[in-house]
Formats: sequence, structure tokens, C-alpha cells
Amino acid sequence: MLNMSDTQNAIREEAKKALESRGVTLVIGWGAGSVPFKTTPVFINKSEDVDKLVWNPACVNNLAVYLPKLAKNSRVGIVAKPCDIRSIVTLIQEKQVKRDNLFIIGLGCRGVVDAQNLEDQDFHLQDVLAIDWVEARLKVTTTSGEHLLECSDCLREMCLVCTKRTPAIYDVSLGEAVEPVEVKGCALPELPEERRKYWSEQFAKCIRCYACRQVCPNCYCEQCFADRIEPKWTAKKATTEESWMFHATRAMHLAGRCIGCGECSRVCPVDIPVAELMSEMSRLVEKKYGYQAGDPDEELPVLGQYKQDDVDPAQHGG
Amino acid sequence: MTEQTLTQEPEIAEAPKTGEWQPTILGILCNWCSYAGADLAGSARLKYPETIRIVRVPCSGRVDPMFVLKGFQKGFDGVMVLGCHPGDCHYAKGNYYARRRIALVKDLLATLGIPEERFHFEWVSASEGNRFAQLVAEFTDKIRKLGPFAGVGAK
Repeated sequence: MLNMSDTQNAIREEAKKALESRGVTLVIGWGAGSVPFKTTPVFINKSEDVDKLVWNPACVNNLAVYLPKLAKNSRVGIVAKPCDIRSIVTLIQEKQVKRDNLFIIGLGCRGVVDAQNLEDQDFHLQDVLAIDWVEARLKVTTTSGEHLLECSDCLREMCLVCTKRTPAIYDVSLGEAVEPVEVKGCALPELPEERRKYWSEQFAKCIRCYACRQVCPNCYCEQCFADRIEPKWTAKKATTEESWMFHATRAMHLAGRCIGCGECSRVCPVDIPVAELMSEMSRLVEKKYGYQAGDPDEELPVLGQYKQDDVDPAQHGG
Repeated sequence: MTEQTLTQEPEIAEAPKTGEWQPTILGILCNWCSYAGADLAGSARLKYPETIRIVRVPCSGRVDPMFVLKGFQKGFDGVMVLGCHPGDCHYAKGNYYARRRIALVKDLLATLGIPEERFHFEWVSASEGNRFAQLVAEFTDKIRKLGPFAGVGAK
């Protein structure tokens, strides 16, 4: 079993080999951020720069978002967590990127940290020196010493319900395999009217910055419906109704495609639980069609296929 | 189908009194079956509530889920999508794709808390003029009981 710094060294080693002898022109990975609890995407095209790559519980970004543009015409290496890899699978499935153009350095993952959760536990983020996984817990080193935290208190919400913690496809697999955890059910209010009010309150906050769309690897459309003037599906003004239309449509567009990395919720500046909507849709898709987004055994997206005996949504039957 | 079933008056809920609130329903109908069914209802002089606003599409496979969402966003009290029976699609398989899409639209509406009674999906063939009129009458009646839709953004 590799520990965190071993994995990090192995990533650097593989990235170096990829750049030097495997025809890879660029390696996308995480690099140290401005502060220890943050990382930033790095793009490495020279083998002497591989030491910029890091691996720690702050490697939150789903780097697959860059692939449709960067891996169009050349071979690109990518360091990816299991969730990122499922995004890559959907991109390959939807023909946005060719498998041959990718060199995937897959990692086993124990979940990544939500900086907000650390703050909520009275950590001053500027005092944090390092974070690391220790067994099933998280070690936070601060200026005042080392603290061991339970994962449930500090990981991102999506990581707590993640069941796929080993890479689905890869060229090199590093890091340890981790046992999946139990799946949580739907956390939305039960009554329709309460649900509608809940979402109405959430979408009322939306400032239409489209960060959720920009960060989503599956939102690769060159022209998004939200940017279109004609037909005007949704106006640009940030009213609740218009935002509802944007989020509802986006949820529909991602139904059966969202792999649940939770990036949309993470980047939202006004804390709309976008991923909650997406994950509920994924749950319903799986229930109806036994389909999981990001499964390498699936050849077509769930809405790009049908079966004669599909569930019939007609009230009176066919 | 006998002549009698074709021209039989559908049972319509009690006609609303003047001034009473009337629901507005968006109907998205496939050109080859359901729209022809609606046409037949018209030619046969069958009465059905004037609450439905019909949009004709080439196939239920053309029904973008956004049509349904936009309907609710624009404040329709109910949305109805009608297509050819499975196996009867003019384009062979458009309605099979539609079936999956519509099933997911229903799931999405449920997730967003739009009452499922406000959305109705049904297979209606070109010969089912009577059934079309009946469905519109039933759906109108249901929406009338539910009352006006508060809107997607109402607090």
C-alpha cells in the first residue's frame, strides 16, 4: 500500500515517463495552491516540471473538464481520481475525446476535503500547514499541532456517499483501493409543495454566473442553451423563474450523464446544492433503467438508447 | 372502431360557470397520431374543453424536455404530451426515445416539486378522436380541482 507521498512521487514518475517516452505532450494534474488546503490545476509540458504535481486531500478539481479542448488533437496525460475517470468515460462514450488521445494516471481515492467543513470546525485556514489521510481519518497539521478528524466531519458531501473509489479505466493505476461506503437516500423534502418551495428558495439565490456549467466536464456544448438569444430558453436576468429554467434544463441535460463529482455545488458562490438535484436524478435513472453514468461497459448514453419493454410513463398504459 | 365510438360525446365534467377560473393547458401533440386524433375530434364535432393550447410537433421524439419545463415556467397550469402508441411511430422509433425522455421529465418534475398530476403523458392514435376529447376533458377536470399553478418561483 502506498501512502500519500509515495503516491505523489509515483505520479511524478509516471508523468515524467509519459512526457519523455509515451508520446504525451501535456500532463494535467493538481499543483500546490497558494495555501496548503488548496490545490490548483497545473498543465505540465516539460519533464523537468513534473515536481509541480501534488496529491493530497485538497485535490478537489475534476480535471476532466479540460479534456474536450486540450486532448482534441494530441495525446494528453491526466491525473485523475475515480470520479474524474467516470467523467472521462462519459466523454469517451459521447465522442468528445478519443481514448487513444489519453494517458490516464488513475488514483484510488478516500475522498477529498471540503475547506468549508474545516472552517466550520474552528480551524483557521491560514494556520493549516498540511492535510493527509491517515487510515480512515484525516490528519490536519496546523501551527498548533496535529489534529485527527473523522472523514464524515471534513470530507465533501459527494465523497461521503461515493461508492466507486477505484479507477474504472486507466493506463497506470496508483494509490490504494478503498472500500466503498454506504449510499445515502434522497435528502429532499417529501411533499411536492415543500420541494417546490425549497428549490424556489435555492434558485432565488442564483446570480447566473454559470460557474456550475463551466466546471462540469459534461457541459461541453460549444453553445449552451442558456447563451442563446433565439430561441430564448431562459432570459439572462437572475429572477427565480429564469434561474429555475436554467437549473431544471441543466438537470435534464445531465440526467443519466452526471457522474456525481459534486463540482457544481463546490464552485457555487451562493451555495445552491446543485449536485443534490443531479444526484437525485442519477438515482432515479438507475432505478428505472439500471444505468449508471460513467460505467465503461455502457456503449451509449441512457437517453440515446431504448428497449422495447422500457417503463411506460403513460397514465393509462400503451 | 365503430361509427358510434367515433362520434360519441365524451363525458365532460360540469361546464364551468361564467367567470369561474379556467385552467390553461399546454398540449404538445405528434403530427401523425395525436394531432390527427385531435383533428378527428374536431371533424366529428366532439366537444372538449377549450383549455388546451395545442402545439404540433413532427413526432413525440421531437418533444424536447425543455418544452415541458418552459410550459411550467411560463405558468401553464398543466402540460400534456401525446404521441403515437409504441410500435406505431411514423418514424419507426421516435416515440421509443420519447418514452425514456418523458419518463425522466416526470422524475425531474417530481424532484423539483411540481405536482405530477399537472403533467400528463399519453399515447393517442389518429383514430382515437373520442379518446382525445375524453383525455382533455379529464385532465382539465383534474387541473380545475387542483387550482391554479402557483408558478415555479413562488415563495
